[in-house]
Parts: sequence; C-alpha cells; structure tokens
Amino acid sequence: MRAALSEYNYDWTLYAMFSTAANTLNGSRKEYERMLPRVSTFRGIIEPVMATGEPGKLFLQGMGEYLRRVVNAHQEGKKLCLTTFCQAPALFWAMDIVPILLEPMTVAGTLVHKGGTSEFMDYCVEKGFTETSCSSQRGALGAYLCGLAEPPDMVVIDTPGICDTNANSFSFFAAHENIPFYQLNYPPELTADRSREYHRKDYRNLIAFLEEQTGKKLDPQRLAGVIAEMEKQDRLICDIQDLQRVVPSPVPIIYNFFIYALRFTMGGRKEATDMLAAMLECAMDNAANGRSGFLSGEERARGLFVYIDHYSMNLPLWMFLEEKGITHLGGILDRFYQARAPYAGDAGYSLSMDSLDAMIDTLADANSRLPMVKQIRGPYDARDMWLEEALSLAKLYNADFAVYSGTPGCRNTWGMVKLLARDLEKAGIPTLVLNSDAFDDRVESWSNTKHRIEEFLEVRRIAG
Amino acid sequence: MNDILVTAATRVGNPAVDEWKAEGKGIIGHVCSHVPEEIITAAGLFPYRLRGIETQSTSIGDTYFGPFICSCPKAILENAGRGKYSFLDGAIMVQACDSMRRLDECWRKAGEDYPGIVPPFFHYMGVPHKVTDYAIDWFVEELEKFAAALEAQFGGKVTSEALAEAVSLHNETRRLLIRLEEMRAMDNPPLSGEEAMTLILAGTAMPKSVYNPLLAEELDAVSGRDGGHGGKIRILLAGSVVDDLAMFRTIEAEGAVVVADTVCFGSRDYDGLVEEENPSFKSLARRYLNEQFCPRMFGYYQKRLDVLKKKIADANVDGVILQNIRFCDLHGSENGLFERDLEAMGIPCLRVEREYGPLGDEGRVRMRVSAFLERIAQAA
Repeated sequence: MRAALSEYNYDWTLYAMFSTAANTLNGSRKEYERMLPRVSTFRGIIEPVMATGEPGKLFLQGMGEYLRRVVNAHQEGKKLCLTTFCQAPALFWAMDIVPILLEPMTVAGTLVHKGGTSEFMDYCVEKGFTETSCSSQRGALGAYLCGLAEPPDMVVIDTPGICDTNANSFSFFAAHENIPFYQLNYPPELTADRSREYHRKDYRNLIAFLEEQTGKKLDPQRLAGVIAEMEKQDRLICDIQDLQRVVPSPVPIIYNFFIYALRFTMGGRKEATDMLAAMLECAMDNAANGRSGFLSGEERARGLFVYIDHYSMNLPLWMFLEEKGITHLGGILDRFYQARAPYAGDAGYSLSMDSLDAMIDTLADANSRLPMVKQIRGPYDARDMWLEEALSLAKLYNADFAVYSGTPGCRNTWGMVKLLARDLEKAGIPTLVLNSDAFDDRVESWSNTKHRIEEFLEVRRIAG
Repeated sequence: MNDILVTAATRVGNPAVDEWKAEGKGIIGHVCSHVPEEIITAAGLFPYRLRGIETQSTSIGDTYFGPFICSCPKAILENAGRGKYSFLDGAIMVQACDSMRRLDECWRKAGEDYPGIVPPFFHYMGVPHKVTDYAIDWFVEELEKFAAALEAQFGGKVTSEALAEAVSLHNETRRLLIRLEEMRAMDNPPLSGEEAMTLILAGTAMPKSVYNPLLAEELDAVSGRDGGHGGKIRILLAGSVVDDLAMFRTIEAEGAVVVADTVCFGSRDYDGLVEEENPSFKSLARRYLNEQFCPRMFGYYQKRLDVLKKKIADANVDGVILQNIRFCDLHGSENGLFERDLEAMGIPCLRVEREYGPLGDEGRVRMRVSAFLERIAQAA
C-alpha cells in the first residue's frame, strides 16, 4: 500500500472531503470556485451534485454529518457497529450506536479517491481474505483491517441466507479482530407467517445483543422518534418513486443515488428526511411544469437497473445516462417495500408506533424487505423474488430495457442472472448483463463498460 | 479393497444403485451435509450424495450458471444434463452456500432445454445459518414439510419406528467411520488417506444397510495391518468440498500421509451422533445444525478452530493443507484465519486455491504440496 494512503485515516479523509464540500456551499460563488482546485479528485462529483440545487446541498451536508458521527463516535462515548447496507440503521440510531455502513463507505471512497479503494481491496488479501470476495465490502474493509479508521466495537449483519459473500466479509472481520458478532438470519420465503415470526424473534434477539454491548436498555420514546422519522422518509420516497412513473420522468436521475446514500446511512434521522423533502419538492415542481428531470429536458428512453448501479470516480454512469437522456428507474438499492409504494403489492410493510412490541415487529418487517434481503433469499422465480419484482417494476415504470450491473464477487446473483435475463427477454424486455465490477474499475474500465452499454442500445435500437 | 466400495467411491453409478433400482425402490439425490439423510432412509428411500465427478467439461453448467461460480455445482449440473443422474427419483436442493443453492433453478431451467433431466421429485429445503431455539424449531418445521413431501410423492410413511431405525442405522455408519478415523490417527496408520477416503466416499453413494457391513468387514481386515506409513509427514486436509481421490493421491505421491480431515465428504459428515433415545425431527435438527463444521454457519469460527485443533492433536498432525475451490469465499477466507491462528501455534499450513474435481491444475498443486512438505521436513 502506498505510504500516502496510510497518512490519514480512511474515514477521516471521507469526512474531511464531504464536510468541506458541504461547508463551501454556505459561502460565495467565488469561494466555491477557489475551493474546487483543492478537491481535485472530488470536483467531478461536487459539480453535478451542486447542479441539483437544494437536494444536492442537503446530500453533501447529510453525508458530512454521517461521517462526522462515525469519526467522533468514540470521542462522544458512543459505540461503533460495523454493519451492512441492507441492515436498516434506524435501530442503531435509536440505541445511540453509530452504524458504519460498510458498502456506502466503499462507494464514498470509490467516488472521491483516484484509483478508488483498490489498494484497500488488495490489503484484504494480504490479511487472508479471498480476492474473489465482493468488492463492495473489500474496499472499505481493507481500511478497517489495517487500522486506518475508528475501530468498530461490534459487528451486526443480516445477510446469512441472503448473500454468503456479504455475510462472510463481516464474520471474517469479527473473527479477525475478535469482536462481538450478531447475525440476523433469513429463511428463503419472505411473507409466510412462520418467516415473519422468525424475523421478529431474531430481531428481538438482536436488540438484546445491542443492549448487552451498550449496557443500555432500548428507550421506547427514542425508538418512537426514529420510527416517526422513518415514516416521513417512507412517505417521501414513495411519492418520489410514484412520480418516476410519469413519462417523461420529472425526477432527476441522480436522485436514486441520493436515496441510496442517505437512506442507508441516515435512515431514521432528520438529515435524510430534509433531503428527501427537497427532492420531492423539485420533482413535483418539474411535474407541475411538464418538465423532465434531465438538464437537457428530453427523455429518450427508460432503463431499469435490476441489481445495483456502477460507481466510479465522478459518477460516470449518471453522467452518461444524463447525456443520453436515459431515465434511471432505480434498482434494488432504492426499493424498500413500504406498503404504499407503487411496487409493493401485498409484500409491503407498514410502520406502527402503537406499542413497543408493535414498533419492534414493524422494524423487523421493514428490515426483512431491504435491498437484497427481499429479492434474493429464495429461488429467483419464487413468489416475491427477483424475477417477479423485475417484471413488475419494468411494467410499472414503462422500462425500455433492463441492465444487470453487479460485481464478480456476487455469487448469488451470478448464479441466476443468466436465467433472469432469459426470462426478461422472453417478456419482451431487452436485457444487458454487464461483467464489470461496480466498485473496481480494474475488472473492466468504465470506458469499456460504457462501450458495452452503447453497443447494446444501438443493436437493440434504444434511445437512438 | 472390495470392488463395490471402490466403484461407489469413484463412479457416479455403481452396483448398489443398480440393485436398489432393480428392486423398484427410489433414490433421492442431495447436495449438502446439512440434509438429514435419516428422513430419506425412514421413507424407504436411498439418500445419495450428488457429485460432479467424471465430468470432462462444464459446458452445460456454464450455460446456466454465470462465470464467477464454484465449479462443483456446475459439474453436478453437467452430470445431470448428460443424463448421468437418470437413476434419481428425486433431488433435494438446499440453501447450502450461494453457489450450491442456485443449482435449484439452474437445474430446473436446464430441464426446459434437456427434457427429462429433472427428477420427478424436486424439493427446496431451507437450512438456518445459526443455532438458536427458534432456528431449531424452524428447521424442524422444514423437516416436517420435507417428510410430508416424500410421503406424498412416494407413498411411504415416516413413522417414529422407521425414524428410530434410520437413526440407529446412520449412527452405526458414523461409529464405523469414527473407528476409521481413530485408525488413521495411529502412529503407523494401516491405511493411506486415499484408501480411507475411498471407504468414506463409498458410503455417500450406497444405501447404509448395504454399506455398513462392507465397511465393517474392511475395517476388520485392515486392523493391525502395517500400512507402511510410519515416519511419513502427517497431513490434515481442510477446506472446500473434496469428493474425489486425486487430491489425496497428489499429496501422498509426495511422500506424506493424510491422517485426518475436516472436509464435508469426510469427517464433517460423520462427526456427532443423533440422539438415539426417542429420536425425533428435533433430535435431527439439533444434530444437523450443531455438529456441522461448514463456514456457512456464520459467527462460529472459534468453535471450528477448536474442532480443528482437537483433530490436529488427536492425529498428531505435522501440517495442515487448507484448500478452497476458486470462488468458495467461505472456506477461502476462513482458511486465511486458520492459517494465521495455527501458524501462531507452530503448526505449518499451506493455503491453496484449486478447481473442483480431478485436478485440472494438478502440476501446480503438486508443486505447492511438495514445497510445503519440504518446509516441514526441514523444520523437523
């Protein structure tokens, strides 16, 4: 690893970048322009984010605040819990624990560091971790393994039964560092009564584990506050995603990235609510004025990402889609299955604050419908699973095509994506399977990935 | 060694399969050591552990699975696609690991292109990844569903008596294999690792009622024999699935003897007995969740390390070979932890990544093993 990379802590560097960027928004245009050369590798992000106005500003501020909490947790007497993106952070915030969402931490590093997090990924291998594991964990995990971040006090995951590769990264880290570990385990079915019971018992066990680690009981008042905030966020997200159904979509395409970043890190906190409210306001204004969410104003096609996005420095996927006039209809990362979401059907959850038990039960239900946890727990063509969801979303959102973007480390989806693509094609939805790594440009450069998408669009006569 | 055992250990089909079919009885294939075979036996059926041996390519497997997948389920699908598993009356798919659980849909979808390759009974079974009272209860329900599905398809009844008989039969197999393990641990083991593995593998492809007497006979025959392995470097083999003999042959050709293992066709499959007093689905659930060494059970690293340390001590092991099939991240990364912790205790370890099946990369593995044995010899 280059000496330069170990000069400052990974989490602190991210915090410094995001909070500085957010602070400059309070200054004059001249001050902002003077700042840009000092954040050269971040510049490509700040500008498109800033171009979205208030939502972009709140996104940067929200990320800055999240990272501040991570960096200062121990100093403020709080415990740090390493967890995964598909684990709702609300319970941690309610218990005064700061969650480190590992995958968003990798994405943040990939966006702002030249060369992404590749050296940290390689460092994992030096510590005995497999190079074939998922890069979305390996990126930030390397920084934690080499002690270049505030050390987590515990590990909590919810991916056993969903994604072994993901779960394995966390259990490896817990065993490597010899710190307490808890797993929420999920049965193959989502909505069966016995699955629901299992989720709820397991979730109560998690609370007992967190109480043991912190020495504090779960405070119902505080939990109610967090759930109330989640409820607001759910409503805002549902409204935004409802607007995406309009043709042309009035929702700027970068919004799905904003939802990803803040819902996973600040779910249940006011920062995320404020950003979502600003996003909805802008989208509604566009809709009221018959505008699309594109800067160019023209929507030429609508694409559904059936798995995740592609992250490289300067958000090239979103820039490309913007340039082509292709609406990003979201992927599994921004679908949460609130009961009132347009895609939820009868698999959705509703939050309740009627009693402590009701709050815990509904949090468990919400948690069991998070990205990946919902779609890929059972056979891909079973009820509520990946195929049913992709077909329904494609229809609901009028998708012209579908794209699978993931990582070679994703054993689970690579085990069934050819079948999914075949079924989507049979249903008349042109589908592209990308071999690139969403978090590691060394597997395939963005320019090659872009070329493959362009070739696909040309051959299938989409957005021409 | 008895030819029937050798054939069962090395071929997909074998005389025991033929005889069972000739009697008009059913065979159920499965893919994981978390499947309680006792239920299949109690239903009057023969549990057969599926393997991808004898494959020459994975062209069918590659059509359905993606490229970044363990070659073991691909090779099993290859055999199915080529009709080698046409003797199966049923198959159980299990949430074993990510690659293996996807055999479920890949096999079913391949069946649309290769008619007749999907057995008439095809059942998906969930297995919890943790051991708690509610996980055991949930698994019991899953076993009840499984037994009911077998009964509905094949007409037999999984009665308490039949279950007790099956538990007793399978425990007898385990006791015999534990006896074999003790023989392997002797200073001068009467059998090589390859011979021992031949005996173990045969049991996964034969009805236990046929296998047990043959195994007992073999153990009696070799007991007290001078195997000629005294003084050799003693190896424990750990990691991903090993279900063919090439790996043992490669290690032993370099002058070592494999005296113990923790692989899932080996000791992982027979460690731990099911309670024999009034056995129930709950007894099965307890045994199959508690006594498993697979890293799919997340958060139990220390327990697995303790098992490994005990086996190393019991068999007086000189070195541990930690192998994993490419893309098997569970074993691959746990091997990294084992290597760190065992080396710190002064136990030499070799970590090696390989492909599944008869070693396509035998030369490379042989070179790594040779260098490892040289390291142990020099330190002695």
